[in-house]
Amino acid sequence: MNAGGRTISDKIIDAHTVDPADTGAYREVRVDALLGHDATIALLVDEFERRGLKIWDPERVIFTNDHFSPPATIERADISNTFLRFARKRDVTHLMLDRGICHQLLVENPLCTPGSLIVGADSHTVMAGGLGACATGMGSTDILYALATGTTWMQRPATVRVNFHGALGKFCNGRDVVLELLRLLGESGARYRSLEFHDLADRPLGQDDRFAISNMAVELGAKFGVFVPDDVTAEYCAARDGHRPALLAPDPDAPYERAVDVDLSALTPRIAKPWSPGNVVSVQDVETRPVSVAFLGSCSSGRITDIRDAAEELDGETVHPDVRFVVIPASVHVFQQALRAGYVTTLTDAGAVFNHSSCGPCGGIDKGVLGADDVCVSTSNRNFRGRMGHWESRTYLASARTVARAARAGHIGPDLYEAGSAGS
Amino acid sequence: MTTITGRVWLFGDDLNTDVIHPPQFFSLDEEKVRAGLFHGLDPGIQPRLRPGDVLVGGHNFGCGSSRETSVRSLKLNGIGALIALDFARIFFRNCTNNGIPCLTLARARDLQALRPGQVVNVDPEQARMTTEEGEEIPLDPPGGFVQRIWQAGGLLALLPDSRPERGA
Ligand code: SF4
Repeated sequence: MNAGGRTISDKIIDAHTVDPADTGAYREVRVDALLGHDATIALLVDEFERRGLKIWDPERVIFTNDHFSPPATIERADISNTFLRFARKRDVTHLMLDRGICHQLLVENPLCTPGSLIVGADSHTVMAGGLGACATGMGSTDILYALATGTTWMQRPATVRVNFHGALGKFCNGRDVVLELLRLLGESGARYRSLEFHDLADRPLGQDDRFAISNMAVELGAKFGVFVPDDVTAEYCAARDGHRPALLAPDPDAPYERAVDVDLSALTPRIAKPWSPGNVVSVQDVETRPVSVAFLGSCSSGRITDIRDAAEELDGETVHPDVRFVVIPASVHVFQQALRAGYVTTLTDAGAVFNHSSCGPCGGIDKGVLGADDVCVSTSNRNFRGRMGHWESRTYLASARTVARAARAGHIGPDLYEAGSAGS
Repeated sequence: MTTITGRVWLFGDDLNTDVIHPPQFFSLDEEKVRAGLFHGLDPGIQPRLRPGDVLVGGHNFGCGSSRETSVRSLKLNGIGALIALDFARIFFRNCTNNGIPCLTLARARDLQALRPGQVVNVDPEQARMTTEEGEEIPLDPPGGFVQRIWQAGGLLALLPDSRPERGA
């Protein structure tokens, strides 16, 4: 069945297949790294201990407490302690206490390289595809199995090829790109598929843009969202690890189920209306509506270029008095970058509040959750009903720049990007 | 896997895991996890669920988070089977791993024929559903891998007893 060309995910799965003779639909594959966080790992601790299991390789495990970091209630403190006790007792090498959101910590870790196969106990593990890894989220039971054996079962998924052309305009970033893909394909447009991103743009997409795009591959239903690794990837890894990684590419005759072309030059800022990340329109077409909360954070954004964009918009400006603007850097490393660049001063001067690097209100978890009357414009990845708080609250998804502009204006609407409001 | 008898509950497309089980009900406490099922959508649903009940949805059933509390809650409430046009990937794996059968309708039009509260029998191995009126609704046969997990009684039953730790 390997006759003919192979896509990136075909190659990575083949290279990790335990028994090379096994070409069946589901194969046992080795994993290079396993990602977990407080909430989902705590669910498997009892069962893991009851069965007397051992972690297959503690050096390949990255754990962080990001959902309850630091915990706000007694129940969460107990969950957090269950998780930490488990990790410490088993000498998990990369136990990152209060260092940020797991997906950001994964891409900051040298275990995450082009061609690696990674599983994580959280759906947004796909984000590591931004570096050319096949990474996917699983539930606690699958993760328990992988943690004990270093293996899991996988099919080679069909691949949808996405080609980016043109050049991204100044007011758009990776968020607008992936929201456009959601508009084009819908919430199940890549269900069970591998999305393979080919950056053919005149000016390559930055690494942060790629992370934003891969992160939301799961909102399209995808199993992987993998960029063909290139110079941008290599430079990022080299700065992180001190050496350039080996790259891999799909075969020229690789089979694609379909191809989608996106002209970045034509893209305008996008926004997803409640209550689906697929409910996307251009900001120019969204009806004007006051917002009470602006949120810049989550694994989907909250990176240095997002915070930079927001600081650019709010330099010398003020957040609208009716808006609470919550900013959460995706990791402590990102927070430190923002501090050094002066963005934290700019944004707090404007009226923003910074919270500790964690999931925050994204999953309706922590400080910044929404009440019944709240309307929120957010850089997170899901605006499902009730996800960020009250069932009646409403969330719009957009880029950091759009969120910052809405925070300043006190509303969303077409005027955010009308002539004269384009910012400095 | 034995035949399931229960009442039908109908849902639409893209029923996501935050709606199935709102994040506020994330807990290690079984009572809290059980009580959270569909709480945002309608707090009246959970108390009326009975063991064996069958949840029926459209496309992309279970999209969203990997949090297995949503599947635990289905289990704690005794949900017998899930029927849909298709399922989201992580949710399908989670249900299968935990012994809740997820089956897809062989004919999409049968979705229109099902009524809330109607009693159905679901035979997962035979991929067949019958209504109380005796109507047969064909389902897609589960794949070999899924059957293997069902027969074992869940994914964890397939764990090799002990593998030596690296370097041991
Ligand atoms: S930031 Fe949000 S989407 Fe990302 S891991 Fe945390 S809860 Fe999940």
